[in-house]
Amino acid sequence: MATEHRIVVDDLTKRYGDVVAVDQLSFSVEPGRVTGFLGPNGAGKTTTMRMVLGLVQPTSGRATIGGRSYLEIDEPTQVVGAVLEASSAHRGRTGHNHLRAACIAAGLPMTRADEVLDLVGLAAAADRQFRGYSLGMRQRLGIATAMLGDPGVLILDEPANGLDPEGIRWMRELLRGLAHQGRTVLVSSHLLTEMQALADNVVIVANGSLVRQGSVAEVVASMSHAARVEVRTPEPERLTELLVRAGGVVETGPTLIVAGLTEQAVGDAAFTAGIPLHRLATQQADLEEVFLELTHGKAGIR
Amino acid sequence: MTPSDRLRRVVRSELFKLRTTSAWWQFSGAMVLTTLVLAIVGGVNARTALKPFAEYVQIRTHGRFHGATVPPEFLSRLRGDWVSGHSAVTQAVTLYSANQLIGLLLVCLLGIVLVTTEFAQRTATSTFLITPRRGTVVAGKLITAVMLAVVAWFVTTLISLTSGVLFLHGAGHGTQLGYWGVDRSVLLNLVAYILWAIFGIGFGALIRNQLVATVSATILYLVGAGAAGALFDLLNSYVLSATWVLGLQVIAPAVASQVMISPTSLFTGSPPQWVGAAVLIAYSALFIGLGLRRLRRSDIG
Ligand SMILES: Nc1ncnc2c1ncn2[C@@H]1O[C@H](COP(=O)(O)OP(=O)(O)O)[C@@H](O)[C@H]1O
Ligand SMILES: [Mg+2]
Repeated sequence: MATEHRIVVDDLTKRYGDVVAVDQLSFSVEPGRVTGFLGPNGAGKTTTMRMVLGLVQPTSGRATIGGRSYLEIDEPTQVVGAVLEASSAHRGRTGHNHLRAACIAAGLPMTRADEVLDLVGLAAAADRQFRGYSLGMRQRLGIATAMLGDPGVLILDEPANGLDPEGIRWMRELLRGLAHQGRTVLVSSHLLTEMQALADNVVIVANGSLVRQGSVAEVVASMSHAARVEVRTPEPERLTELLVRAGGVVETGPTLIVAGLTEQAVGDAAFTAGIPLHRLATQQADLEEVFLELTHGKAGIR
Repeated sequence: MTPSDRLRRVVRSELFKLRTTSAWWQFSGAMVLTTLVLAIVGGVNARTALKPFAEYVQIRTHGRFHGATVPPEFLSRLRGDWVSGHSAVTQAVTLYSANQLIGLLLVCLLGIVLVTTEFAQRTATSTFLITPRRGTVVAGKLITAVMLAVVAWFVTTLISLTSGVLFLHGAGHGTQLGYWGVDRSVLLNLVAYILWAIFGIGFGALIRNQLVATVSATILYLVGAGAAGALFDLLNSYVLSATWVLGLQVIAPAVASQVMISPTSLFTGSPPQWVGAAVLIAYSALFIGLGLRRLRRSDIG
């Protein structure tokens, strides 16, 4: 399954007139884990995913799945499943018939429709028209459609949108389970807290360009300068003066929060000056902070 | 998997999709109902036209000139109408293709809807994920539309034939079936159904916005013939007086399809039937070509 289900984005660029939606983007997505595709709104996530799926034509560059472009895959539904937008079934058709029509077009047995309905827990609403579905039910139907061909690769664009906390937990379990089976799972989101609990790897983009790629732990650790040191001392004024002179930025309060200096540097400086410390600890940066820092000033609607 | 397997899947899926929304009974209901109405109206008109002239005048004037004489200019107009319609063959052709007037519009709209629904209902993404080749999707829809056009022609022709035979035979004019001009127009009607379905697919792929495409096609179809007639009449009167100028109105698709199926001349300067067919085929090919090109180049999403 390994290389067969690897997604490779290679120097991909998409321009819409003057807007460069995706700018020479390269990254790869490995099987067997969940990869979070992160970036603020307008970063180019949707455009990238649509290019990977052959729906949007790149201005330049190439995206492949298992070495082939989406158009070159003989039975694409049996290799890649995608959930791109919540509302993508005919409003007057039942969920069940939507899936059956997809089975026919994909050359799959009709029984797959029933199987995926059970998989996503939508069997009870299967014979209702799509127009009556809640956003959460639409997302489930989207996932069911993606799972019809039992694909080794899953690509989901903001699947948590519109889901309630229970739905989000369900989605997380499902995607983690699918990755655990060895599938490649690429999930985009602008909601980072959700990603930290879900993703093994992250690809962070801003302004259409890659900002960072790696495991969640690596990316967080690589941002050591984002880490801050908490210090408590009976002599806050003296210590603050000392740390500022050493190049730190200090937030005063009952506990001093020091940025720009390591725990070790703070401890050594206090020791040399003979200032007692009652607490010295590094606040580990979380993904949210890393993300905000990495994409700082690049967010916003372009 | 061969290209023909791919195509077969798309066609089967399109037929299934059509069956699982209200679209199919709306279309078939409209098709059957309008054919019935037009067949009956046509039958009544045919029987009037086939009456002897004296009776014809009575009916057309609703007895308004009872006892008095009909004004001569009006009488000569009536005579002109009577002469052109007083032929069992002409009436048979009209009756047996009574399904055509609205039927062609409906198959054209069906073709348009088959394509534009993908955008109106935002199912295009899903469709092109399953069948990434845009050309295969369009070809599948084309085949589906043609199949449905054949079925629509068959069912509605059955209705107009039955009703037409009842009227004609009942009025003592025989069925006129077996006369090649009549049979041929029924068969050419089938060609018209197929061409309008293809026309609709191309039109839909080109225009894509369902409302704009259906409304403009309806206007083009219903008003196009009259507008073209009036336009070329004006040209003929004020710019260039020649019979062939009048014949040019065949460039309106609605006129072309009438010219194609009619064994008798429809208007002064009306070109031969094959010209109508050629014009309709040219439009269908043009719209399919342009529509496919637009779809191939565009981004879905
Ligand atoms: N069809 C389009 N036409 C013009 N601009 C587009 C189109 N699609 C996306 N864009 C622009 O490209 C940029 C990236 O959009 P998108 O890929 O949707 O970002 P994201 O999914 O990360 O929010 C945005 O600036 C957006 O306005
Ligand atoms: Mg997006």
